Amino acid sequence: MRNVGIIGIGYTPVFVSKRKDVNIPEMISEAVDNAFANTGLTAADIDAVVFGNMQTFEGVNLPHLWAADYIASLGKPVMRIATGGTTGMSAFHAGYYHITSGLHDVVMVVTYEKQSEGDSQVGLMGIITPELMAMLSAGIDVTGGSGMGAIGGGSAGGISFQASSYLHHSGAGIEHIDAQAALERRNAAKNPYAHLKDPEATAEKIAQTPMVSWPIRFGHICPTSDGATVAILASEKAAAKIADKVAWVHAVANCASDATTANLIESQITDPAEQMPAIIASRQAYERAGIKDPKREIDYVEIYNGFAHQALMYLEKVGMCEVGEAHKLQEAGELEMSGRMPVNASGGVVSTNAIGTSAMNRVTECALQILGRAGEHQVEKEVHKALAHGWGGLMQYVTITILGDKPKKG
Amino acid sequence: MEKNVAIVGYKMMNALDLVTSRERLTFDLTRGLFNELGIDRLAVDTTILDSNDFLDGRTISNVFLDPQAGVYMRDESKVEMDGLNAVLYACMRILSGQYQTAMVMALGLTGSQVSPYLHIEYTLDPTYDRQVKLLNELSAAALQARSYLAKYGYSEELLDGVAAQNLGNAALNPYQARRISGISKDQVKGSAYYYEPLRELHCFPPSDGGCAVLLASEEKAKELTDKPVWIKGMGQSIETYFLGERDLFTSTSTTQAAKRAYDLAGVTDPKKQVAFAEISSLFAHQEPLLAEALGLLDKGQAAGAYQVGETAIDGKLPINPSGGPLGAHPISATGLVRLAEAARQLRGEAGDNQVREAGMAVVHGQDGACAQQNAVVVLGI
Repeated sequence: MRNVGIIGIGYTPVFVSKRKDVNIPEMISEAVDNAFANTGLTAADIDAVVFGNMQTFEGVNLPHLWAADYIASLGKPVMRIATGGTTGMSAFHAGYYHITSGLHDVVMVVTYEKQSEGDSQVGLMGIITPELMAMLSAGIDVTGGSGMGAIGGGSAGGISFQASSYLHHSGAGIEHIDAQAALERRNAAKNPYAHLKDPEATAEKIAQTPMVSWPIRFGHICPTSDGATVAILASEKAAAKIADKVAWVHAVANCASDATTANLIESQITDPAEQMPAIIASRQAYERAGIKDPKREIDYVEIYNGFAHQALMYLEKVGMCEVGEAHKLQEAGELEMSGRMPVNASGGVVSTNAIGTSAMNRVTECALQILGRAGEHQVEKEVHKALAHGWGGLMQYVTITILGDKPKKG
Repeated sequence: MEKNVAIVGYKMMNALDLVTSRERLTFDLTRGLFNELGIDRLAVDTTILDSNDFLDGRTISNVFLDPQAGVYMRDESKVEMDGLNAVLYACMRILSGQYQTAMVMALGLTGSQVSPYLHIEYTLDPTYDRQVKLLNELSAAALQARSYLAKYGYSEELLDGVAAQNLGNAALNPYQARRISGISKDQVKGSAYYYEPLRELHCFPPSDGGCAVLLASEEKAKELTDKPVWIKGMGQSIETYFLGERDLFTSTSTTQAAKRAYDLAGVTDPKKQVAFAEISSLFAHQEPLLAEALGLLDKGQAAGAYQVGETAIDGKLPINPSGGPLGAHPISATGLVRLAEAARQLRGEAGDNQVREAGMAVVHGQDGACAQQNAVVVLGI
């Protein structure tokens, strides 16, 4: 298969709660301009564009049509990818396949969310509302355990099932979730593109935030952010001509299970912390990347954690440590930027969540670490290979990307 | 293209009202396709779903269709555009060498919507265009129709002729939703104006439908079918959102997309090399307009061509022998239905709609007001 590399990254100047000064296409264009400024490339260098954001969240259908004039896409192929929370990485994967297909050489992937122009929890409730209606019309009791998750509201209601199950199986305590949230908000303080930053964050401070749905506290939950991220990908041949430094894609993989077995309604039957898709997709990615021992070979990990416990839970699922080990690594300081297994030096999704960009930012942040361009949040160890993770859907859809500092062999 | 990709099977359903759910429709299409091919879900390496979440009324709607599409602990992604773009993506995945087979599944349940035009209305700039309420799918299409008729001095009769031909073809086709037997030009002309110059029978009907197609690498295709239809070329392009900045009498992005597809397919003279076309013309004027942009009709010659039956099923270059989207427009699936209809022709399975010579076909899909974005696929046997 053709080698593909990330040759450029662009962000909006800030990721914040509400960008009042720009509309949706204007905001996206800032990230496009930033990617061009960072690379010296222009619209003429781009063969095709992939575009993604969370479907329906800002009340604009197929927003790439409206944004077409603002993303250097006129006269080019533009593909809109939409897989929910994972859209950013699914769009990245589509960009990768545009190039590995042999049809294109330089592809720009554009992702964004402007959550201030919609209501995310209403949007997320929209996922479950039809299920709830179906249950009601079938005469199923929605007031008992089976309906609690749905009624629990937006995503936090369902996630609390997952978090409590994770704590039960791993032996971690709520204090580890507090500590993870604090760790990442401290990291975020070093990332100019993070939203919630607190250089003084501690587990004790997080523990004082209100309980939303046990064991999820307010301090464990991501913000809703406005922002856009762009990645420019190129074939090996094109990269040699137009890029100075490249983060190479070694593998992409994704896996979906059944929404009705992973979801809240059936959570008594299937454990939302089981996460088979994460296990399957990461194994597939390792195989494709030729990685035999991820614990030794992967230097850096970006986990999509809309909720703080997920950084710990998914480290176990993607095979970066054994089950029940993640919180011990955390206690030993290994997950810090100075640690042996740094995770989410960017501050993670728990600090910044412009949804369409969130799974994409996991990839671009891995790339920045590999390129040594993460600035103040560059981790201490050398990063040769990194893993980016995204989850979405109804906690049953997982994407994985593995990057390396050299082109993949064979 | 570096490798060959084939269509090895298709399954489609269209009706004014399918009286079904998205989940059931997905299952019926998938199961139907698998049964015809004698395969199970494990024979599908990757799946690309395609529907519009605004239309579906829920976000992340793909994850609820995974089980019905046979995706359980397997790979799936979603394109949210016209279904022909999902074919482009599935094709790329096979061309990359990562996967050998890919299923594309698109559906649109429009018949039960409050308005079939809302999904385009909600693509508009929410702070101005949508609020002023002058622009919507119909009014934009009417502007485009006026611009086209005026450019070449055509009368509204052209629209009646195009619509009558399409609806006549649709009446013969069991896969179409709107089938009016004995349809005539007068009947089209007698239908009410929706937005001048567009009359009811010049416009697509609100309908339900979906389509599933299995693609395979050359090696796998030979195992799965003895009637492969090959994807020879594909292309796509987008133009400006602002209608005032476009030449509405033509479709620049269709011409750009066609050039990409023709270059890959080695088509240098489409009028000579292409045997027939399946075009996503949602309104009567769009068929000749897009056929011109695809290089299949000479500019300014449409009235004559339709009058002498050049584009009819038995004509020199049949266009929409299936009846096209005037027979059914399951939003998101329409381009994929066009692809399946073309494959049906190329496999000689089109019955009363069968064209005489089916060597190379052009398939087209569109997105946005006045076809802002267009995809083109060239098929051959």
